[in-house]
Amino acid sequence: MTYLQLQHVTQRFDNGSEGLSEVTVDIEQGSMVFLTGHSGAGKSTLLKVLIGALVPTSGRVVVGGSDISRLGPRALPWYRRKLGIVMQDHNLLDDRSVFENVALPLRITQLGTREIGRRVRGALATVDLSDRGHLYPRHLSTGEQQRVGIARAVVNRPKIILADEPTGNLDPYLSRQVIALFHQFKDLGTTVLVASHDIDLIKDQGCRILHLSQGSLVQDTDGTKG
Amino acid sequence: MAGIKVNRERGAKTRSKAWHPRGGRLRTWLADHRRVALETSLSISRRIFGSLLVWLMIGVALAMPGLLWMLQSNLQGLSQQWQGNTGLTIYMALGASEQSLEEIATVLEREPAVIRFQLTTPQQALEELLAQSSESDLLRQAIAEIEANPLPASFGVILDSEQSYLAFEVISRQLSGRSDVEEVVVESLWLERLRDLSRLGNRGGSALITMLLAAAVLVSFATIRLAIDTRLAEMRVLALIGATRAQLRRPFLYLGSAFGLGGGMMAIFLIAVFLKQIEVPLESLLVSYGWDPELSAFTPQIILLLLTAGWVLGIAGALLALIQRLGVKNSS
Repeated sequence: MTYLQLQHVTQRFDNGSEGLSEVTVDIEQGSMVFLTGHSGAGKSTLLKVLIGALVPTSGRVVVGGSDISRLGPRALPWYRRKLGIVMQDHNLLDDRSVFENVALPLRITQLGTREIGRRVRGALATVDLSDRGHLYPRHLSTGEQQRVGIARAVVNRPKIILADEPTGNLDPYLSRQVIALFHQFKDLGTTVLVASHDIDLIKDQGCRILHLSQGSLVQDTDGTKG
Repeated sequence: MAGIKVNRERGAKTRSKAWHPRGGRLRTWLADHRRVALETSLSISRRIFGSLLVWLMIGVALAMPGLLWMLQSNLQGLSQQWQGNTGLTIYMALGASEQSLEEIATVLEREPAVIRFQLTTPQQALEELLAQSSESDLLRQAIAEIEANPLPASFGVILDSEQSYLAFEVISRQLSGRSDVEEVVVESLWLERLRDLSRLGNRGGSALITMLLAAAVLVSFATIRLAIDTRLAEMRVLALIGATRAQLRRPFLYLGSAFGLGGGMMAIFLIAVFLKQIEVPLESLLVSYGWDPELSAFTPQIILLLLTAGWVLGIAGALLALIQRLGVKNSS
C-alpha cells in the first residue's frame, strides 16, 4: 500500500536554482528506501520537504492520505510527531542526559512519567544502550551518539523514519550496525527513508534505491528484486 | 538537517484532521504548563546569581517610578489637606496715616488676585488682643499700663488660590517696597509652591516613568534574547520533533514572567528600604514645621501595582525577544 507519495514536486529556491525538479515517486508502507546521489543532488531537500521544513514550489506531497505541503502551521507539529528524524550530527542536547534526550519527543506529547520511562528504556534497549541512560552525550562515542539519535527518533513509534546521512560520521562497521537497526524498524512496519551518498553501504541492502541528480530522480532501482 | 531553517508561510486555514491531536488537550496543556513552570524554577535556581542581577535591574527600574508615584500622591495629598485660601497680612508702620491706609486699600481693590480684604485699625487690634487675653489679668494689666497703642494697623487679605503664587509675590514685593508698610507676610505660599512642584512632577514624572518602564522591558528583552540564543539548538530540535509554537514560546514567557515578578518584588523591597531610611528624618522635618500630615506609604494597591507592572513588563520583554529572535511566523 502506498503510504508516501511525491507528485511532480519541484522545489525552487530564492536564487532561482532548483533543489527538486518534477520528482514523482510512490513509497510503500513498511518499506525501506535509500536516497542517493552526489552532494547537492537534492537528497536533503527532498527530506526537508517531507519533514515540512520546505514547502514545494509546485506538486503535492501526500503522506498517509494527507497533503502535507498544505498543512497549516498549527497542524505541522502534529504531523512531525509521526516522524522519526535522524540527522548526521545527531542534534543531541549536551545539557541533558541520554535518557532525557530520548525522552524529548514524549515530553512534547506530554505522556505520563511512567510511560515515558517505559518507552525510553525500550528505545535504549533497541539500540543497545540500556546502560547509558544516565550519561551525557559528551560521554559517548560517535557511534553511540548516533544510536541515541535513532532511539530518540523511534521512541515515539513513528510511522516514517527519515534519516539524512545517518552514517556520515561513522566507520563502516558502525554504519552497518545503524543500517541494521533501520532494517529492524522496517520489519516492524515502519517506512524508512535514508539519504546516503555511501553507495558501497547501500547497494547490497536489498532495498529500493532512488538516485537523484541535480534535483531530478534519474534512477529508481528496486533492490528487493535483485 | 542540522542547518534546517524553518521559515515558511503556510496556508493557515488548511488543516488535515489526520495530523491533529485527539482528546485530553486541556489535561496535556496543564501538564505542559506544570512542567515548564518547574523547569523555569530549576533554571532560575541554577543561575541564581544571574537571576538576582536581572531582578535587581528590573527592580531598580520599577522602584523609581514607584517612588515617584508615591511622592506624587503624597504631594497631592498634602496640598489637598490644606483647605483654606492663600492669604496676605500687611502690617503698616506705626503711626501710618489715614491716607496711607486709603492708598493701600485702593491698591488691593484694583488687584485681580485679591478676593477680599479687611482693615484692622490699631485700636481694633488692641481690643482683639485684650479680648484674647481676657483670662490673663497680668497681661491685661501690662497692656493697660502702656501709654501709647503699640500695635500697627494691618490688612488681612484673602487671595485667589487659583492664581499663580507668583502673582502673590508681585503684590507682596510691591507693598513691601512702601515706606509706610512695615512687613508683608504671605501665608501658605509654600503650599502654592508645593502645588506647582506637584504639577511639575506630574508632567516630568510621566516622561521619566515611561523611560524607566521601557528600561525594565529592555532588561527583560535582553535577558530573554540571550536565553533564546543559548537554547537555539534545542529549539531547532524541538521544532523538528513536533513541538508546537506555543510549546517553543512557553519556557521564555515563563522566564519573562519570573523575571518580571521577581523584579516587582525587588522593587517593593528597595522602596521599603528607602522609606525606612527616610522615615525618621522626614517625620522630624514635618514636625518641625508643625505638620502632622497623613502620608501614604505602602498600600496593598501599590504592592499589587508593582507586581502586576513587573509581570506585564517581563512578559512584554519576552514577547519582544521572541518576535525578534524567532519571528512571529517562523516558529514551526
